[in-house]
Amino acid sequence: MSKKNNTKFTIIRALAAMGIALLVAFLLILVSADGAGVGEKFSNSIKALREMLVSPLFRKNGTFSMKNFSDVLAGMIPIMFTGLATCIMFSANQFNLGAEGGIMLGAFVTAVVAIYAPFDGPLLMVAAVLAGGLAVAVMMLIPAVLKATLGVSEMVNSLMLNYVIMYVLNFLMNSYLADTSKGITQTYAFKEKALIPQMINNGSRLSWGFMVGIIMVVLCWLFMYRTRWGYGIRMTGINQPFMMYSGMNVPMIIIISQVLGGFLAGMGGGIEMLGRYNVYNWSALPGYGWTGITVAILSGNNPIFVPLAAFFMSYLTKGCTLMSTNANVPAQLISIIQAVIFIFFAAQQFLSRYRQKLVVKSAQEELAAKKAAEAGEGGNA
Amino acid sequence: MNILTTDFFFSIIRIATPILLATLAAVIGEKGGVSNIGLEGIMMMSALFGSLGAYWTGSWLAGLLIAAAFGIVEALLMGFFAFNLKTNIILVGTAINMIGSGGTIFLVKVITNSTMGQSLTSTTSLITKSLQIPSVQIPLIKDIPVIGPVISGHSVLTYLAFLLVWVTYVLLYKTPLGLNIRSVGENPNAASSVGVSVMKIRYITIGIGGLMAGLGGAYMSMYYAMGWSLDMVAGRGFIALAAQSMGGGEPVGSMLAALVFGFAQALGIKVSATGVDSNLVAPIPYIVTILSLVVFAINQRRREKKRHASALG
Repeated sequence: MSKKNNTKFTIIRALAAMGIALLVAFLLILVSADGAGVGEKFSNSIKALREMLVSPLFRKNGTFSMKNFSDVLAGMIPIMFTGLATCIMFSANQFNLGAEGGIMLGAFVTAVVAIYAPFDGPLLMVAAVLAGGLAVAVMMLIPAVLKATLGVSEMVNSLMLNYVIMYVLNFLMNSYLADTSKGITQTYAFKEKALIPQMINNGSRLSWGFMVGIIMVVLCWLFMYRTRWGYGIRMTGINQPFMMYSGMNVPMIIIISQVLGGFLAGMGGGIEMLGRYNVYNWSALPGYGWTGITVAILSGNNPIFVPLAAFFMSYLTKGCTLMSTNANVPAQLISIIQAVIFIFFAAQQFLSRYRQKLVVKSAQEELAAKKAAEAGEGGNA
Repeated sequence: MNILTTDFFFSIIRIATPILLATLAAVIGEKGGVSNIGLEGIMMMSALFGSLGAYWTGSWLAGLLIAAAFGIVEALLMGFFAFNLKTNIILVGTAINMIGSGGTIFLVKVITNSTMGQSLTSTTSLITKSLQIPSVQIPLIKDIPVIGPVISGHSVLTYLAFLLVWVTYVLLYKTPLGLNIRSVGENPNAASSVGVSVMKIRYITIGIGGLMAGLGGAYMSMYYAMGWSLDMVAGRGFIALAAQSMGGGEPVGSMLAALVFGFAQALGIKVSATGVDSNLVAPIPYIVTILSLVVFAINQRRREKKRHASALG
């Protein structure tokens, strides 16, 4: 199939998946909407859906809302990092689901460094985020090495580690690190200069961490598509035995992909912490890891599409939040929409008949063009 | 601290039951070549609808059946995406788990809002003692010292779960369906070449798994706890996958592995009763999972090496 048709198919398929998800969302909203009769319910649902889709950008009177828009951008920061992490791990066919625990551990380690480091200044900011990233990279050695040497499922191990991380961090908070003068469990404040400066001061908490995220997207793309190791990771994902027989160090690739993924997730946690908060107060897994998996699937495991996918997910999340405050539909609708989009994107055979038709059509066109060209040549001779 | 009480062993069985049910789902699934990581989500969903069903109908049995039916429907839906639309089954499972954690809280809010006029975030107020899955004293056995108080007095579903271990064994090894499941799991092409409908067998495999996970979910919300609450399954669906591989994929071995997890968790509860921070105790089952997977893998490696050595000698 020609490249043009291929792109066309990809776009149509993506739109169809989103359409189905919105349809499901609409049906669920319809069920949950207030209203006496069917007509009233219907119009309320339309209102709620409009709220979800339009309000992240526009105010009620139709003018552009910078505040909401910057909220959406700020929401992209953590899921860009977990999305990148998952992209790299999934590219090597390593179904490591540890970005969820990873971002929490990274946030925690960064917070601890930002509070207790013996020095202060912009260097502390960098050091704290790197410490968060490195801590998670080391943590990911557990599932990675066990997979590479013993063949133990990285999926089960990373899932288990998520829970272990959450409980151990909560223990450390309760027993050692909590600021006991406060009513809720939180740490002491980070050092002033460790905080990442904001891009816009409107309360959206859109920090310069956003730009770091974009830079990491570019770096990851370069790594995956322009370096030997990136090639190794992608090829291991496509055909592991082939890589083994052609002499690549496959166990090393398996380890590197997960350690890198861990580093990115941890870094994301650190940047989220220093960009959005001034104390650490997470007591449960934040869910960014799971959204990161959705982002990775939507971007087809290609880092360059991660910002687009992250924007989409952040937009929908913001829309669902606004809808729940303004239209009385629970915000957790996002989980269901996310799952539906996710599953249709990942479905290889979704719209396969349509694809088949496109292939046939383009082949016929090619044949016809060839025939015409031959006829033309014949005429000239 | 004396842990060797009959109460302690009783609690191992009580805690192991939902893990055992999910483990059996994983055992059948893996035998049929369907690795279902959505068990966690299915359990969450069934736990919710089991408790709601029991409340609506006023009968625990109806609630249990509704939970089981939901398990089957969800599993078949997973099958549709995995087998018909060729989605990677791990991703299908992940999507189901997303619905299981965030989607259930949406559903419980919406459903309780429209049926009761107030949106609840858990169903713990709905399940009363009479809607709980009943526990039974086994005559004669209950009077035996030591063994009696450990084995007798569990819920109906606990006995059913242990019975299902045997049923699973018979199904897999003594019936034509079991033979088909195993052959599809080992070599789908070979199975298909002798006229087995691979698609149909896979649907049956995942459906049976859904039924068992559904029962596990019902146990969580209708016996283990009184009602459904957010993230109540807490990784039991994942632990089941570990128990399956620790048990070598066989029903009886996996049952023992599930009991090991029950032991780890019961021990944790015991320890936290002495005043240790529960956050330090709660991760024990998850750490045990990782450690036991490692031990199992090392053992298997050694066995394979031995086999190779003897084959060469």
